Amino acid sequence: MRRQLRSRRTPSFPYSYRYRLDDQDELNQNYLADEEEEAEEEARVMVVPKSEEEEEEKEKEEEEEEKKEEEEGQGQPTGNTWWQKLQIMSEYLWDPERRMFLARTGLILLIYFFFYASLAAVITLCMYTLFLTISPYIPTFTERVKPPGVMIRPFAHSLNFNFNVSEPDTWQHYVISLNGFLQGYNDSLQEEMNVDCPPGQYFIQDGDEDEDKKACQFKRSFLKNCSGLEDPTFGYSTGQPCILLKMNRIVGFRPELGDPVKVSCKVQRGDENDIRSIRYYPESASFDLRYYPYYGKLTHVNYTSPLVAMHFTDVVKNQAVPVQCQLKGKGIINDVINDRFVGRVIFTLNIET
Amino acid sequence: MELGWKKGAAAPQGQNPRQIPIKGPKPSKKKMKRKKKKRDTEELKKEVVMDDHKLTLEELSTKYSVNLTTGHSHQRAKEILIRDGPNTLTPPPTTPEWVKFCKQLFGGFSLLLWTGAILCFVAYGIQIYFNEEPAKDNLYLSIVLTVVVVITGCFSYYQEAKSSKIMESFKNMVPQQALVIREGEKMQINVQDVVLGDLVEIKGGDRIPADLRLISARGCKVDNSSLTGESEPQSRSTDFTHENPLETRNICFFSTNCVEGTARGIVIATGDSTVMGRIASLTSGLEVGQTPIAAEIEHFIRLITVVAVFLGVTFFVLSLLLGYGWLEAIIFLIGIIVANVPEGLLATVTVCLTLTAKRMAKKNCLVKNLEAVETLGSTSIICSDKTGTLTQNRMIVAHMWFDETVYEVDTSEEQTGKTFANNSDTWFILAQIAGLCNRADFKPNQETLPIAKRATTGDASESALLKFIEQSYSSVAEMRKKNPKVAEIPFNSTNKYQMSIHFREDGSQTHVLMMKGAPERILEFCSTFLLHGQEYSMDNELKEDFQNAYLELGGLGERVLGFCFLNLPSSFSKGFPFNTDEMNFPMDNLCFVGLISMIDPPRTTVPDAVNKCRSAGIKVIMVTGDHPITAEAIAKRVGIISENTETAEEVAARLRIPVSKVNPRDAKAIVVHGSQLKDLHSEQLDQILRNHTEIVFARTSPQQKLIIVEGCQRLGAIVAVTGDGVNDSPALKKADIGIAMGISGSDVSKQAADMILLDDNFASIVTGVEEGRLIFDNLKKSIMYTLTSNIPEITPFLVFIILGVPLPLGTITILCIDLGTDMVPAISLAYESAESDIMKRRPRNPKMDKLVNRRLISMAYGQIGMIQAVAGFFTYFVIMAENGFRPIDLLGIRLYWEDKFLNDLEDSYGQQWTYEQRKVVEFTCQTAFFVTIVLVQWADLIVSKTRRNSVFQQGMRNKILIFGILEETFLAAFLSYTPGMDVALRMYPLKISWWFCALPYSILIFVYDEIRKLLIRQRPGGWVERETYY
Repeated sequence: MRRQLRSRRTPSFPYSYRYRLDDQDELNQNYLADEEEEAEEEARVMVVPKSEEEEEEKEKEEEEEEKKEEEEGQGQPTGNTWWQKLQIMSEYLWDPERRMFLARTGLILLIYFFFYASLAAVITLCMYTLFLTISPYIPTFTERVKPPGVMIRPFAHSLNFNFNVSEPDTWQHYVISLNGFLQGYNDSLQEEMNVDCPPGQYFIQDGDEDEDKKACQFKRSFLKNCSGLEDPTFGYSTGQPCILLKMNRIVGFRPELGDPVKVSCKVQRGDENDIRSIRYYPESASFDLRYYPYYGKLTHVNYTSPLVAMHFTDVVKNQAVPVQCQLKGKGIINDVINDRFVGRVIFTLNIET
Repeated sequence: MELGWKKGAAAPQGQNPRQIPIKGPKPSKKKMKRKKKKRDTEELKKEVVMDDHKLTLEELSTKYSVNLTTGHSHQRAKEILIRDGPNTLTPPPTTPEWVKFCKQLFGGFSLLLWTGAILCFVAYGIQIYFNEEPAKDNLYLSIVLTVVVVITGCFSYYQEAKSSKIMESFKNMVPQQALVIREGEKMQINVQDVVLGDLVEIKGGDRIPADLRLISARGCKVDNSSLTGESEPQSRSTDFTHENPLETRNICFFSTNCVEGTARGIVIATGDSTVMGRIASLTSGLEVGQTPIAAEIEHFIRLITVVAVFLGVTFFVLSLLLGYGWLEAIIFLIGIIVANVPEGLLATVTVCLTLTAKRMAKKNCLVKNLEAVETLGSTSIICSDKTGTLTQNRMIVAHMWFDETVYEVDTSEEQTGKTFANNSDTWFILAQIAGLCNRADFKPNQETLPIAKRATTGDASESALLKFIEQSYSSVAEMRKKNPKVAEIPFNSTNKYQMSIHFREDGSQTHVLMMKGAPERILEFCSTFLLHGQEYSMDNELKEDFQNAYLELGGLGERVLGFCFLNLPSSFSKGFPFNTDEMNFPMDNLCFVGLISMIDPPRTTVPDAVNKCRSAGIKVIMVTGDHPITAEAIAKRVGIISENTETAEEVAARLRIPVSKVNPRDAKAIVVHGSQLKDLHSEQLDQILRNHTEIVFARTSPQQKLIIVEGCQRLGAIVAVTGDGVNDSPALKKADIGIAMGISGSDVSKQAADMILLDDNFASIVTGVEEGRLIFDNLKKSIMYTLTSNIPEITPFLVFIILGVPLPLGTITILCIDLGTDMVPAISLAYESAESDIMKRRPRNPKMDKLVNRRLISMAYGQIGMIQAVAGFFTYFVIMAENGFRPIDLLGIRLYWEDKFLNDLEDSYGQQWTYEQRKVVEFTCQTAFFVTIVLVQWADLIVSKTRRNSVFQQGMRNKILIFGILEETFLAAFLSYTPGMDVALRMYPLKISWWFCALPYSILIFVYDEIRKLLIRQRPGGWVERETYY
């Protein structure tokens, strides 16, 4: 109410700001009034004679109030509190008297502009320092991403493989997914981009961090029956599905003691004999050491993750079989309770005929 | 009276000032209420009209169908008891406990939290409905909010319940028994069993058990001070002396004290229908407005709501524009609104107020209603009762006039040693007369007490003389032993003197006649006067001197007594049978000795306290039932009327013009008589209250006290009323803060009040004002501190929505801040000492100076909070980057990040993360964000300590605050490093280096705010102050 009043006088009063302050910040002023006499003086001024100005104001105030009451009377006959609150809120956002957004003067916007500009400068400086301390090639800490997680392909937002052998529509998307995924493993591409490095040992490339690193070939043909080269349906059409397993990339990760990580699958729960045979490609069912270590995507551009294909050649049909595939090896953890993708992966096969 | 009681019960609103009345009630309702209040006041006036005092004994006997010698039969008494109910003051209608509890549970701030809880629950419901496995955050939040509200509600309920229990114990301090005559037998019964028509016997020291019409009395005096405010005992007889039942001699009132003598009376009213009971009913029928702090909190809630809704809606629209679904957007909306609710603030405010209440209780201000703690700080007018609050409530010798000189006597409370010493012979004689011609005596067995503290028999003036002589001259008992009294004419209102004849055993073996009484009467008896021990014959010069002295002392509001004596000739030898009826002795040509004047002196601490109130911008108005002259005199002595201001009468006397021609602006002081007040319109009263800075209301009735309070409130003042009597209780209730006296106060006044001065000392009010102002300032700081951390709590969610980064701060961590680490530091600010002399400030203007204003929000949200948020994000980005996710790659990662089936999400280095692995990183970030907030809150806490001064000026003496800093840090470390926390709260241990990310920002906050305060100090009124001083 009062604020409005003051503002109404703004145009005619060059020092309206100062004036408004007098009233709003009485406390501040009195703060300074050390002499009690001063305080007393003020008390008198306030109490005793009404100066003309004040009287004027009173009148205006009354006018305002009347107006408001009228408005309310028309709009909301009962004087709804919500209505008032809405008014206050809208006043806060847009002060029609002073034509000011958020009831603020330009000054405060300016202050905030400079304030935020400085703050932005500070955060920029901090981030700059941060990037100075962080290598673009090797992450500072890798302990959170270790031990490696495991993922399978085909992947369609579900770990249940339900399909009917006689109905290609039910498995076609797996085939497409696998084909897409294996494009990067095409023999021609691999031969062109990557080197054929000796198997059974780490492919260590010393040198500066920022030097480009070579990558070892992992050819699609390594996957034999599951490469999709001989059987373009990856065995789905015969009820012997191929599922590819890959280990998550971790910069600098090396399987311990030169012992390659192996993959082994079995029925997770239920009858062991539900899966009578699985074939692994490469036959060792392991990730060859030559694919390690990984040097990070900036320098190790063409790095190709090694794969292990599981070919479920004889699985009980017309029944959901839970399968757990685990990594086995020194330093591999595959039994974290609350993360079911570390060192293992669980999925179900439900092949209908 | 049944009616009156029901009316009281019909307005239970008045009972709880905490309740926030609905804004802008319908005009018709308002009118009705006003009407009802008027009717109540009318009712009280009307009911005082009774006719029992006019009736003869026979008429009384028939009216109450009781035998005036044997009383009721037991059977009859029992019947009446069943009919009328017990004879007790029904306590003001108390709201049932569960209603009180619910009010604590659903009032004001709690409502905000409830809304938050319900919104969260709704959000959770939506999530459940559309998503099979929703995050449980919203559910937890809603449960925690509910728990917080319930716990704080219970706490404040417990607090207030405890205060009212103290009230009950006060009540039980006075065991009340009554001696009634039933079936001709005297028997002691409980007061509540006294019934209408009972014959009651009272004696000195008793509390009167009901309204009585006396049927016989012997030297009975009653102390009606609690009812009328007059401290002087009044004599009671069977005579009908005044139309007004309050003034007539033959009625004694319920719960007043019989000081001396005995009397027998018939009960004409019991319980609530007594005069006392009616005032109590009027009191309980009054409505009381919102306390200032409740209004402030309402304003605060409004501000917070505006900010919350504004943010919520903005981001609702934004998230829709960004392509989120409706449902998600609504959940975001609710989330943002709820995130704005400061969960811990309710508890903080309650605890701060409780702490202050405790501190005030230690300083003898017992606060009944928690919110009243602050009210005293906002007070701009104090309406103080005179007797017992400003004065010591006892008569004491103040001045003497002999040897043509006025002597002043030490009237302070701690009189030790001699208060007066003089070697004049006149003084010795005066002292002897004062000691001998005096019926007062010390009660036995109190030799160890200082004289001033000993209890006496007899009326106040005689006791005052007795004590004075005992202290300044010699033992009165010895004096009396040496000069035994042989004859006496006691004081009565017709002859206005008291005479006694004593035999001088040790000296001349003669008799001496001594007399004291009204000075003009005494002078009539005298033909000579004593000057330095020599007798001179009376002359006009002395008479003029006498007149001047009498006027001077009378003008000081003192009660003046004259003293004279006559040495009887030796013809009246030992054993002469003096006969006061036949007057067989001379009683003229006495020798005038001097005057002694007495007053109920102001408490020593009061002038200073009044002065402090003055300099604190608080107007002190005296409202008393006493005579205007006494009132004015006391007002001048305590500084309510200051030395250099004059009343209109004084201006008139100085300028020698009629009072009507005095310019009202010249007379700053005014003394208003109750009879004048009766004829004033409310506009005229407003005029008086507005135009005069120093006001004394004398001879006021309970209704008028109420009118005065209402007048002050009309002017927008926050009014404190002090009082002890039942007659004050309507005003006490109506006042923004009623202050009752703990020692002399009546039950009703204590019930009506919000605060009780345990030592009855006005100076304690000043302490209360100081504490109230301090807590207001400190609450501001506390809220500033608490609100600031809201920004670093909300912004992560906003960034999560807008930039699609993993959530930097989760619900659990937010709760850990709001209800964990922030609590103790916020409360510790309540212990902060004042930045400057808060008693030199004017009281805050409740319309302008808000607890939480836009500047505070702007500082907390816009500036300090933003720095904190930046600090948090910096830490977040550091951890993310060090773990492999560079900031640029985080943008828009949200959908993949949250995908539970995506277990090979690539980071900036090409590494692949399972869902759980990256969640661990996310929660580590949240823990770090939390720790960062704790660390920047260090700086915020130190910065919030002061609003204007530098921390270096203020110092770090607040030990609780230092403890708070340590506690929050320890708690943060505990939450982060305790094994098992990863499962329980999903908080993970941090690397030491991550703790240091926040430090530059802490320093930044500190430096920034110090510079801001420096600018405020250096350029008062400059734009920095205008825009940032909260």
